[in-house]
Amino acid sequence: MQAATAAENKIFQALADPSRRAILQALTRGEAAVKDLTARFDISQPAVSQHLAALKNAGLVAARREGRCVYYRVEARGMKPLVDWIVHYRAFWTEHVDRLERLLERMES
Amino acid sequence: MNPNDKTAPSQSESLAFEWDLPHAPEKVWRALTDPALLAEWLLPVFGLELEPGTAFTFKTQPYPGWDGTVSCRMLEIETHRKLRYAWSVPFLDTDVTFTLTPTASGTRLSLVQSGFKPEQKREFGGARYGWAMMGGKLVDLLGRSA
Repeated sequence: MQAATAAENKIFQALADPSRRAILQALTRGEAAVKDLTARFDISQPAVSQHLAALKNAGLVAARREGRCVYYRVEARGMKPLVDWIVHYRAFWTEHVDRLERLLERMES
Repeated sequence: MNPNDKTAPSQSESLAFEWDLPHAPEKVWRALTDPALLAEWLLPVFGLELEPGTAFTFKTQPYPGWDGTVSCRMLEIETHRKLRYAWSVPFLDTDVTFTLTPTASGTRLSLVQSGFKPEQKREFGGARYGWAMMGGKLVDLLGRSA
């Protein structure tokens, strides 16, 4: 889990910006090109491109070129460092409370 | 899925568990608050005081980039009933809450580890959003793409 710290940091930084969150949210509804996103949000095309670059750098979106157009989509696996974190703590508490139960058996009341 | 896992989809910022223990709350409380006992089932603890606001640490094995210190701060204590403390590791700040409810057969122990506190660092706004997203569409997508 700790090895993922740098990746987590990138994800959190990418998601800290409300515009980027809105763009990512829009992409969960399906693939879109920069011009589609520019039309949907009140942000300039260069700004949208910059946000997409940050999301891509964090591993949260992927790009696909088709002719002159680049289409962006959500890269769901990009959230894996966060999912790993949950999985880690689920296992952690389950294992440690098993130990607590064994300890309580040994303790005097 | 763990049968004790009570995490609801709407609580995607937290992990919740419940255990029914055949022991009195007073005894469970001791295991949760006595450093010698904590070291036996959880982790070695340093500087633990049952005073709200006090800082203490748990130590686990170090990893590259992390010395294995869990930084904690006591937030809430209700003797034999409730214990809540901040649980922080690099880039992840959470709260851990233990609640003890007396039952006919002993104690129901509930454990909730709740998500990030966005006010602490700029990134946590993103982290909180990340949690919320995981409870929704991205988890579906993850399930399909994994």
